[in-house]
Amino acid sequence: MASTVVLIREKGVLTPDGGINQRKLSLMFKQGIQVLMGQQNQEESLRLLFKNNDRVGIKINTIGGKKLSTRPEVSYSLAKMLLEYGIQQRNIIIWDRTSRELRNAGYRLNLNRSGFKVFGTDTQRVGYGSKLVSHLNIGSLFSTIQSDMITASISLAILKDHGMAGVTAGMKNYFGAIHNPNKYHDFNCNPFVAELFETKPIKSKHKLTILDSLVVQYHRGPSYHAQWAGKYEALIFSLDPVAADFVGWQVIEKLRSKKGLPSLKEEKRDPIYLRTAEKMGLGKANSEEINIIEEEL
Amino acid sequence: MKRRQFFKTAGGATLLAGTGLMNQTPALLMDLYAFGGEENLSKVEARYYKKHPDREIECLLCPRFCKLGDKERGYCGVRDNIGGTYYTLVYGKACAIHIDPIEKKPLFHYLPKSNALSIATAGCNVNCKFCQNWETSQVRPEQVQNYDFPPRSVVEYAQKYNCPVIAYTYTEPIVFYEYMYDTSQEARKKGIKNAVITGGYINPEPLEDLMKVVDAIKIDLKAFSQDFYTAYVRGELEPILEAIKIVSKSNIWLEIVYLVIPTLNDRSNEIRRLSRWIMKEIGPDVPLHFSRFHPMYLMKNLPPTPVSTLENAHKIAIEEGLHYVYIGNIPGHRAENTFCPKCKNIIIQRKGYQINNVYIIGGKCKYCNTPIPGIWS
Repeated sequence: MASTVVLIREKGVLTPDGGINQRKLSLMFKQGIQVLMGQQNQEESLRLLFKNNDRVGIKINTIGGKKLSTRPEVSYSLAKMLLEYGIQQRNIIIWDRTSRELRNAGYRLNLNRSGFKVFGTDTQRVGYGSKLVSHLNIGSLFSTIQSDMITASISLAILKDHGMAGVTAGMKNYFGAIHNPNKYHDFNCNPFVAELFETKPIKSKHKLTILDSLVVQYHRGPSYHAQWAGKYEALIFSLDPVAADFVGWQVIEKLRSKKGLPSLKEEKRDPIYLRTAEKMGLGKANSEEINIIEEEL
Repeated sequence: MKRRQFFKTAGGATLLAGTGLMNQTPALLMDLYAFGGEENLSKVEARYYKKHPDREIECLLCPRFCKLGDKERGYCGVRDNIGGTYYTLVYGKACAIHIDPIEKKPLFHYLPKSNALSIATAGCNVNCKFCQNWETSQVRPEQVQNYDFPPRSVVEYAQKYNCPVIAYTYTEPIVFYEYMYDTSQEARKKGIKNAVITGGYINPEPLEDLMKVVDAIKIDLKAFSQDFYTAYVRGELEPILEAIKIVSKSNIWLEIVYLVIPTLNDRSNEIRRLSRWIMKEIGPDVPLHFSRFHPMYLMKNLPPTPVSTLENAHKIAIEEGLHYVYIGNIPGHRAENTFCPKCKNIIIQRKGYQINNVYIIGGKCKYCNTPIPGIWS
């Protein structure tokens, strides 16, 4: 059975001054989730994914600083949508590995009962669990946010080129949920991205991938380089984590090709972990089995 | 900076730094404090790396040759590319400080009965499935409690606690190369020796530079097959053999440890090939320790090494002509002792880390006057 990936593009979601048109962004989320779930409204769509009493973790990627992280406006738009559906505000956690990175990316930390929670794993009394989860002979400790605090997870990653992995998107975003991602970068991160995703703390909770593709770093990632960061003004949605990343990869290739850059395959760093993930049954990594629905508002 | 509370990070790692110190050297607690978190890490420029365009760097310290973009961290977890400059995050940031007998390293032919002020930082450039210290070696430095312990302080403590040797140990000292190097230089000025306890996964240039300031190196050879290194270490055998050869040709004292793991690296032909290689490349006088494995970390499915397996390895190495072959982690075993290769008398009698008798006088066997290689005083 084919997987569905919804790509919502909206010209003007990025304002000329580099800001966000909040109204357009909210509509992109609404339309994306409705099309993905085949429903007429956002509430029905989310009901198919979350229970009202879920504690939802929104795992973002903030390693790239203000210019190349999941933008706060994007995270809060998603959080608001969850709130409108009925998830309690205190049960929505926007998180990444460190509070410093969150702050640097423009987030205001919040541990209070009111407001969406925003904090890093390195926050006092959060940290990593003590139980090693082993995969392919690498043992990792999981952020207790992922392993204990939440019941459902959304990978809200930023779409980037990656020097080692080829592409970093929704699956690799979970490298930020373990204590030792530096041990997972050999061999173009293959099979580690797929193997990590398959661990219980992630696979059992992951519900949805959304790729922040408003600005895409299509070359020399994962850090920000203005000359290779392209405005794309899209959000990519999928229930299939592999298919979402596969489509993200195609976006990167398209942008590279436009600029006359060699493909990732030619640079010998195509994201082969996607094929591994497909073989492991985690999702689809071939265009024949992915139904891409591309829409503009 | 405020003293921080311990917080739950990488399992027992935070406790390891504190309790180890408390058990071994209570006086040190009087004026040393450990801190966790990113803000207490060092930002000292690393050595042995190359800058590339677009803020990318290539680390030249170990055979991994990590190529990293801005804001990325090396495999070791303790070296970080920040804006195109590579930094060590653990300079002067020890996560473990103990005073150990030198025999615990183990170094059996190097200043016996000496105490070694032993330090480590977080991090490692391999990932052994059987690591005994994974709570510090396989974590990032911000995930453990680190003592602010710069090179000069290390040397002062070694003097204060009558340690003639500083040992860089427990995790993988190669990853805290700059800290180790500068401490060794300071120690030398005060007549204190330096011993490196390492897996030997280092490039020739930094190794040769390091050998200018250290006195003894113990290399853990984890197996004698690349398959083992690929599957259980995530490293390469060849550069380690090269490192052993480089050290053996210098005036640095060298000993080799081989942790014998049941069914994985204990085959007689592997031990024989290893012994032959040592005989050919280094000679019969390098001490070789066969240590007993205990189930740890990700390898809890195997039993401790049977004594008979260790004895078999010992027998093979002796058959192949090695003079100083030991069995480790079995206190009281006869093969903990040093035997004179000529008259076969016991010349150092050990039990565990304790030395009962030494029958070496002026570097020679007391009974037959055969020179015994080592640094004895």
